[in-house]
Amino acid sequence: MLEATPTPPGRLRRAARELARAALPSVAPILTSLLVCFVAVAALRGGVAVAVDAFLAMTWGAIGDVPRLLEGASVAVLLRPWGESATKAALLTLTGLSVAAAFRVGLFNIGAQGQLMVGALAAAVVGAAVELPAALHGPACLLAAALAGGLYALGPALLKLSRGVHEVISTIMLNWVAVALIENWLVPGPLRAQVGGGNSVAGTAQIHETAELPRLVGEVSRLNAGILLAAGAAVVLWLWLARFVGGYEWRAAGLGPEAARAAGIDVRRTVLRAMLTSGALAGLAGAVLVLGTEQRYPATLGAPYGFDGIAMALIGQGHPLGVLATSTLFGGLRAGGTRMQLFGVHKSFPELIQGLALLLVAARLVWTKLADRWLPAREGGP
Amino acid sequence: MPTIALRGISKRFGSQVALRDVSLELGRGERVALVGENGAGKSSLMNVLYGLYAADTGEVRVDGRPARIRTPADALALGIGMVHQHFTLVPTLTVTENVVLGREPTRVGQLDLPRARAEVLATCARFGFALDVDARVDALTVGSQQKVEIVKALHRGVSTLVLDEPTAVLTPQEADELFTVTRRLSDEGLTVVLISHKLKEVLAFATRIAVMRRGEKVAEVRPAETTPESLAALMVGPRGPRPASVKAAPGPVVATLHRVSAGRLREVSCAVRAGEVLGIAGVDGNGQRELAEVLTGMRVPDDGALVVLGQRGALTPGRARALGVRHVPEDRLRHALVTDFSVAENAALGRHRAPPFAAGARIDVAGRLAETQALLDAHDVRPRAPHLRAGALSGGNQQKLVVGRELAGAPKLLVAVQPTRGLDLAAVDAVRGRLLDFRAGGGAVVLVSLDLDEVLALSDRLLVVHDGRVTGEFPREAFDERVIGRRMLGVLDA
Amino acid sequence: MTAFVLALFDSVLDAAPALVFAAVGTTLSERAGVVNVGVEGMMRAGAFAAAASALVLPTPWAVLVGAGVGAAIGALHGWLCIWARSDQVVSGMAINLVMLALGQFLLEAAFSSPSGTPPITQLTPWLGHSPLTWLAVALPFVVHAVVQRTPFGLRLRAVGEKPEAVAAMGVRVAPLRLAAVVASGALAGLGGAHLSTAVLDRFEHHMPAGLGFMAVAAMVFGRWRPLGAALAALFFSVGDALRLSLASSAPGLLEVVPQGVLLAMPYALTLVVLSLQRRGASRAPAALGRPYDPEVR
Repeated sequence: MLEATPTPPGRLRRAARELARAALPSVAPILTSLLVCFVAVAALRGGVAVAVDAFLAMTWGAIGDVPRLLEGASVAVLLRPWGESATKAALLTLTGLSVAAAFRVGLFNIGAQGQLMVGALAAAVVGAAVELPAALHGPACLLAAALAGGLYALGPALLKLSRGVHEVISTIMLNWVAVALIENWLVPGPLRAQVGGGNSVAGTAQIHETAELPRLVGEVSRLNAGILLAAGAAVVLWLWLARFVGGYEWRAAGLGPEAARAAGIDVRRTVLRAMLTSGALAGLAGAVLVLGTEQRYPATLGAPYGFDGIAMALIGQGHPLGVLATSTLFGGLRAGGTRMQLFGVHKSFPELIQGLALLLVAARLVWTKLADRWLPAREGGP
Repeated sequence: MPTIALRGISKRFGSQVALRDVSLELGRGERVALVGENGAGKSSLMNVLYGLYAADTGEVRVDGRPARIRTPADALALGIGMVHQHFTLVPTLTVTENVVLGREPTRVGQLDLPRARAEVLATCARFGFALDVDARVDALTVGSQQKVEIVKALHRGVSTLVLDEPTAVLTPQEADELFTVTRRLSDEGLTVVLISHKLKEVLAFATRIAVMRRGEKVAEVRPAETTPESLAALMVGPRGPRPASVKAAPGPVVATLHRVSAGRLREVSCAVRAGEVLGIAGVDGNGQRELAEVLTGMRVPDDGALVVLGQRGALTPGRARALGVRHVPEDRLRHALVTDFSVAENAALGRHRAPPFAAGARIDVAGRLAETQALLDAHDVRPRAPHLRAGALSGGNQQKLVVGRELAGAPKLLVAVQPTRGLDLAAVDAVRGRLLDFRAGGGAVVLVSLDLDEVLALSDRLLVVHDGRVTGEFPREAFDERVIGRRMLGVLDA
Repeated sequence: MTAFVLALFDSVLDAAPALVFAAVGTTLSERAGVVNVGVEGMMRAGAFAAAASALVLPTPWAVLVGAGVGAAIGALHGWLCIWARSDQVVSGMAINLVMLALGQFLLEAAFSSPSGTPPITQLTPWLGHSPLTWLAVALPFVVHAVVQRTPFGLRLRAVGEKPEAVAAMGVRVAPLRLAAVVASGALAGLGGAHLSTAVLDRFEHHMPAGLGFMAVAAMVFGRWRPLGAALAALFFSVGDALRLSLASSAPGLLEVVPQGVLLAMPYALTLVVLSLQRRGASRAPAALGRPYDPEVR
C-alpha cells in the first residue's frame, strides 16, 4: 500500500490544504470575533457606516495611514504607526512564545506575567545602576532580564517535578507574589527613583541611554529593535522544535512524557530547560518593555501582558510562527485601536476582540469538526 | 419468548466497524456466554445494551416491546445491569456509598446513610456476599471489588446481569467462587451474560454460547454440542499455523536479580538467560510490573543487587537502552508511543540521537524516513504511511511498530509486558512470532502476562509471583495449570 | 486593644464575604472535576452586573442579577469544558480575559467613564452588616452539608473522582457537572456583587483585582473542601484586615515589614503549604481537568 508519489502541483495543493486545515481553528475564531465586535460597534455607536469608519481608522492606525500617504504626506505617516504596532507586537510575541515554549513540554505557564515583571525589574536595575558601553549595556540588561525571568519560572517547574504541585496553581500564586513584592514594595520603596530638585517621579530610576533598545528609523518613529528580537526568537524556537533533536525531545516529553522517559529521554531535565526558556522569554518581554518604551520600571505595569501571552500562544496554536503571526495582528489592532476613540470606542476594544477570539479558540472541537467538513483530510485513517 | 432481544445492531467508531448487524436473544434464567477474541465486539454489543454506546442501527426489545436504551439509567430501569472489565467504582467512597450511588435513600432530602447501610447489608445477605460495607473501596482486594460491582447491580434489582471478562484479574480459585455464586443466582431466575475469551470457563458455565468474530456473530452453540477446539476455530476463523515452538538452548546469564525489592516486589532473586523466554505469571498487581520496570531502568530498586548485561547497580531507561535492553511495555499508548507524533517520529523514539535519525544535533529527516519505510516493510505495519499520526493506526499495527522498533539494532534483552493484549489474531501471531524469532537468534526475553495461556504457550521457564515474592519456578516440562494457579494465590503446599 | 480587635472583626465581616463566596463556589466546580480558574472573570461580571442593574432595580434584585450573570458565565464555562471539550484552564483564562476587556468596554459604552459606574444604593445593613455578610457566615456550612449529606453531594464527589462510575449507575455526567459549574459561577457572581453593592457603592474598573485568583488559592489551601476553603478565605481576609489596620494604627511596623511583603503572604503561604505536602498527597479530585467521553475506547 505504498502511496503513489504525487505530482508537484498535487503535492502543493495537498500542502496548501494541510496548512488551511491547520490554520482554520485559529483563523475562523479571529474572523468571527472581528465580525461580532463589528456588529457590536454598529449597534452601540449608531450604524454600520460608523463601524466601517472606526474599523478603517483602526486599520490605518495599525498598518500606517495609506490614504494620507497617497495624498502626499511624508513617509512618517507609515513609520509612526509601524513603531506603535511593532512595539506591541514584540511584547505579545515574546510572552506568547513564553507560554508556547512551556506548552511544548506539557506545562501551562500562567506565570508569564510574574516572570515578565521580574525580568522588567532586572532590566531596569541593570540599565540604571550599571555603567557600560552601549554595545554591552543593552545585551547585559537583556541577559539579566532573561535570567531573572527564567529563574522565577524554575520554581514552579521544580515544585511540579518534586512535589507534584500543579503549575497552574503555583504560577498563579507567583504572579501575585511578584505584584506584591515588586509593585507594592521594591518599586515604591527601596528602588524608587531618587530625584533631585523636589520633583517626584514614580517608578525606578531612569535607565542610561546606553541601555536603551536602538531605534531602527531614528526619531521619527518609536520602531525599535524589540520586534527584531521577538521575531528572531520565534524563528529560533521554531527551528529548535522542528529541526533539532533537543526540540524533538521537548515535544516528546510534552506529548507523551512516559513514553519519552521509557525511550531514555531525561524528562525532568527537558521540562526544567523548557521552563527556564519560557521564563527567559517572558523576562525578555519585560526587558523590551523597559528598555524600549518605559525607560524605567514604572509605578505599575498596568496591563496583563502575561495573560495576553496566553491568548497569543493559544490562538497561534502553540506554533512559534503562529504566535508571531497572531501577535503581529493583535499588536497592530491594539496600536490602531487607540484611533477608534474618535468614534466613541474605548481603546480597550482590541482586547475585547482578542478575548473573544480566545474564547472561540477554546471551543476547538467546533472548529476541528468544521475543518473536517470543509476540508476533509485526504490521507490517513487506518 | 425471549426476555431481551437485540436485533440487527451495528456500530462504528470513526472508520472502524465495531459491530455489524448483530442479533442476540436472552431468555429468563439463561447463562449466555459471548465469546470471541479481543476486539471481536463482545463488549461493544453489551455496552449498547447497557446504554453506554449508541447503536448506529438496530433495536433492542424487552419482553417483546421495543425499548429505548440511551443511557445506563434506561438499562437499569429495564432491569439490566453490567459489571465492567475495568471497574466503575469510586475508590474514595465506601462500599455502601458506591452501591447506593444513583439511587440513594433519603430522609427529608438528606442522604440517609444508616438506611443505605442496612439496605446494602440486606442485599449482601440475600445473595450471599460477605463484604465490609463500611470499608473504603480502595482498601479492598481486587476480588472484593469485583463483588462490590456485582452487589451494585443486584442492589438495583436487575433481572439481567452482564459480566464483562470478570475473571481477567482473578485467581482460578476466586474465579471458581464467582461462578458458583453466579450459577446459584441464575438458578433463582437471573439472566446472566458472560463475556469471555477463556473457553474452558465458558464451557463449564454457560447454557448457550454465542461466538463473535470481527464485529459479527458467527455462530451460536450449546456447550454439549461443541469442544474447545471447534469453538476456537469459530472464534479465530481461517488462519495460518501457529509458530512452532523450538526447544530452547539457553545461553549465558544476561541479567540477575539478588534479593531485589521495589514497590510491591519483595526480595526477588532470579536469573535471565540468553536464548530463552522467561515467563512471569501472577495475578495483576503482585509485583510483576515492578520486576519489568526494574529490568528496564524505569524504576530504581529499593533494595537488593541487580546486574544487567554486565552492569551492576541502578539503571536509568537511557542506560538500560545503551546496554541493549529493550522494552515492550504493557500500555503502549502511554509508554511506548507518542500518539500525536507521526509514525516516523515514533520509529525514532529511543534511537533519535544517533544516525540515521540524527545528524549531529539536527534531525536527519531523510534518513528517518528511509529507516521508517524499511521498518514498516519488515514488520508489515499497515498502512505504510510514515507521516500518519501513530494514534490513527489500529492497535495491532501500533504494536507491530513498537515490537519492530524495539527489536531493531541487535538488542540483547527484551522485556515484554502483556505484548498481545487487545490485538487481533493476525497481530497476536505476528508479535508472538517475533518474540520467538528473537529468542531463537539468541536473545533473552522476559515475558510478563496476566494471560496464563500466553505465558504457558511461549515460555521456556516460568516464575510465579504472589504478593511480591517468587512462589514457584517451573521448567517447561513441569507446567501444570492447577499447581501454577495455587502458587499464584500463594498456596505453597498441596 | 479590645477596640482594635472589634474594629478588625468588623472590617473582616465587611470584606471577607466576597472571597468566601467565590472560594466555596470554586470547590463545587472542582469537586465535580471541572477546573475553575475563571472565578476572577465571573466575579468581575457579577460585580458589574449588580452595580449596573442597581441603577434601575432595587439593590437586592440587582444582587440576584449579579449572581445570575455569574451563573450564566459558569454555564458558558461548563459548555466549553463539558461539550466542546475545551481545555478547562484555557476556558477559564479566556473568560478572565473577555471579562477584563468587556468590563472596561461596557463602562465606556454605557457610562462614558473609564473608572467606574455612578454610585448606587448599597444593600441595607442588617445587624450592622450587609445581609450578604450573614449569608457568607451560613453558606459554607450549607454547602458542606450539601456535599457531605445529600444524594447530589455524593454524586458530586463521585463524578470528580471517577465519572465512569457515576455514568454506569445511571446518572448522567454532563448535567451533574454543569450544575456544579453553574453553582460555582453563581457564587462567584454573588461574591462580585458583594464588592460593588456592600464593600463599595459602585463598580470600579479594576474589580475584583485578583480576588478571584485568591479564591482559587483559598480553595487549594482548604484542600478542595467547602469548610476548608471558607476558613482559608477567612484567614486571608483577617491577614488583609490586619495589614490595613496596622498601616493606619502602627505605621512604624511597616518600616520593619513592608506592605508588599504582607500582601504577598497569602500566596506565598499557599505555595509553602503545597510544597510541604508529600508527593501524591494532594487532595485534588482524581478526575479534575479530565473531560468525560463515554465512547472513548
